[in-house]
Amino acid sequence: MRSLLTATFLLTAAPALAGVNDVIRDHALPGTARFASATAALDAAAQANCTDTALRPAYQEAFDAWMGIAHLTLGPLEEDGRGLAIAFWPDTRGMVGRSVARLVAEEDPIATSGEYAEVSIAARGLFALERLLYDEDFAGYGAESYSCALAQAMAADLAVLGREVDTAWREDFATTLSSAGEAGNSRFLSPREASQALYTALATGLEFVADQRLGRPMGSFDAPKPQVAEARRSGRSLRNVVLSLEALRDFARTLSDQPTPETDAAFDRALTAARGLEDPIFAGVADPISRIRVEALQNDVRAISEAVGTEIAPALGVSVGFNSADGD
Amino acid sequence: MPSRRHFLAGLAAATSLPAMGWAAAGSPVYLAAARDPSGAYALFGLDGTGHDIFRIPLPDRGHAAAAHPTAPEAVAFARRPGRFALVIDCEKGQVAHRLEAPVGRHFYGHGAFLQGGAILATSENEIATGEGRIGLWSCAKGYARIGEIASGGIGPHEIRRWAEDVLVVANGGIRTHPDSGREKLNIDGMRPNLSYVSLSGEVLEQVTLPDDLHRNSIRHLALAPDGQVAFAMQWQGEPNDAVPLLGLHRRGQNPVLAEADLAEQIAMQGYAGSVAFAADGGAVGITSPRGGRLHLFDSEGGFFASHRRADVCGLAPGRGGFVATDGLGGILSLQEATLSRLTTASRAWDNHLVAIDA
Repeated sequence: MRSLLTATFLLTAAPALAGVNDVIRDHALPGTARFASATAALDAAAQANCTDTALRPAYQEAFDAWMGIAHLTLGPLEEDGRGLAIAFWPDTRGMVGRSVARLVAEEDPIATSGEYAEVSIAARGLFALERLLYDEDFAGYGAESYSCALAQAMAADLAVLGREVDTAWREDFATTLSSAGEAGNSRFLSPREASQALYTALATGLEFVADQRLGRPMGSFDAPKPQVAEARRSGRSLRNVVLSLEALRDFARTLSDQPTPETDAAFDRALTAARGLEDPIFAGVADPISRIRVEALQNDVRAISEAVGTEIAPALGVSVGFNSADGD
Repeated sequence: MPSRRHFLAGLAAATSLPAMGWAAAGSPVYLAAARDPSGAYALFGLDGTGHDIFRIPLPDRGHAAAAHPTAPEAVAFARRPGRFALVIDCEKGQVAHRLEAPVGRHFYGHGAFLQGGAILATSENEIATGEGRIGLWSCAKGYARIGEIASGGIGPHEIRRWAEDVLVVANGGIRTHPDSGREKLNIDGMRPNLSYVSLSGEVLEQVTLPDDLHRNSIRHLALAPDGQVAFAMQWQGEPNDAVPLLGLHRRGQNPVLAEADLAEQIAMQGYAGSVAFAADGGAVGITSPRGGRLHLFDSEGGFFASHRRADVCGLAPGRGGFVATDGLGGILSLQEATLSRLTTASRAWDNHLVAIDA
């Protein structure tokens, strides 16, 4: 079924710039398909056995798949708040922990209502489920407990989100991107606007790695904040950096129509640094010696942004936002 | 683009009446500044469907413009902390006056006309104290400075004519000093407010925010026909904090803070760049270029629609709803549920789209 729909889409995709179609076919659609199948597997695992230890492997797989598309913030992930419903982070107001604690304390029947998508986005998705599976305040629940049913509801909800994102990309947003500039396309008024939107997602994704995934736990030298590292409970903080850099490298290569030696070299440097870090949840940011290596990695990621800005943006004829970068 | 020279030649042949007002400049409905592909900046007059009526070069990137209510004159402000503003004769297409901020003052980027266009008011910083000031200039005297009044707070940004002798002022609360550019010097202690100030300098009414929102800088304003004021805010905390970015106020009442659902509120990234009422005052919109969002609310603050558009910022009332501009050159019409293209120009539209009230 999927290959048929993909083929249909390709036949209708003539006018957009080559890089845009390449991104759709070789980067976005494989990524959303993988996330849909990983969340479906998570759901199946939860229905079979919802205890924390049983669910963790499928949870890790689903999170890995999420790293492949988390940077595609345009389109289906920005509709209906799906991106935040899948991954509510950074959680600057501590809403995930509060929301999950409330549900568990009250044994809120929403968990078994079949309408879990109605709860706050802070109580949905990978970060809410992480609390149940890994946080000592919640993990260790019994197979018949409320928390087990809640984990099932969260997993089922994630599977629905995964399916929706994949379907919306294949059946709708792929065409919206590839028909940029055609009559009736009010989202992208020219082919360049589709390139611009994808480029913005690339630049924003790199910025997110440097400023949020690395920058938040780093805090300041005098006030490091290792406790706010992304997905530290499930031990994924560094892994998320590595996987997102790999995904962004694939994205950059696919988007660009020309060789990008500077960008490739910058990605290689950052990935080598990240893989060699041996600090899975950035606990080292509080120690002056090991902090230096996290800072160095952050600089490596910022160097990718610069390479992308000088190498890919001009070739696509795009730039960062005139107003979004200004502020007044 | 329509040739201004041809247009003016035709106009000169047709009439030489003075005091034709904005008709002499081609009856633009909007003013907007933009950057051309060449990197040059200009002020554009646009018709109601977003098409060019005139283009007048600007020496640098501007911020907002203020349109005189009757004469075809626009005041373009340098970006803050700007020391000058240009009064542009939109009929002749040239600078008519150059306003220099007095010693010890700089402009904050917005202005408004009062008393039927006799007086121009400008938002300013008294550099030594950080106190907000409103500079007053006489249009009849060649835009000579005739006085100033207190703005009622720190960091006044947009100001609007609330009545012929009353301004409503967005005191953003952020102290800056030109020696340190746009660096914010007082985030922890900032206290933005909305002030109604009479021309004689009396603060008639002042609206403040709850304590937990004291870092929400009140910066931009819109006015409904019945006097209701909408104020747009910029949060000086975490972009994901999802605080309200729109306030609605009627004189003598408590303000209403309006917000969308959590996901949409986070999508705005703590930043509203422009605010406008629809012409009938029944709907109010705010834009976030950082979130690529345009949010619509009813006049009681109820959220009813979100539209996506990259780098969208300028917003003004338009036929059937609103007109919006973006940094990609797009001019869009927003009518109830649909956002559609009016036109696209190969230039980057700047922060604000200014409706001419004439």
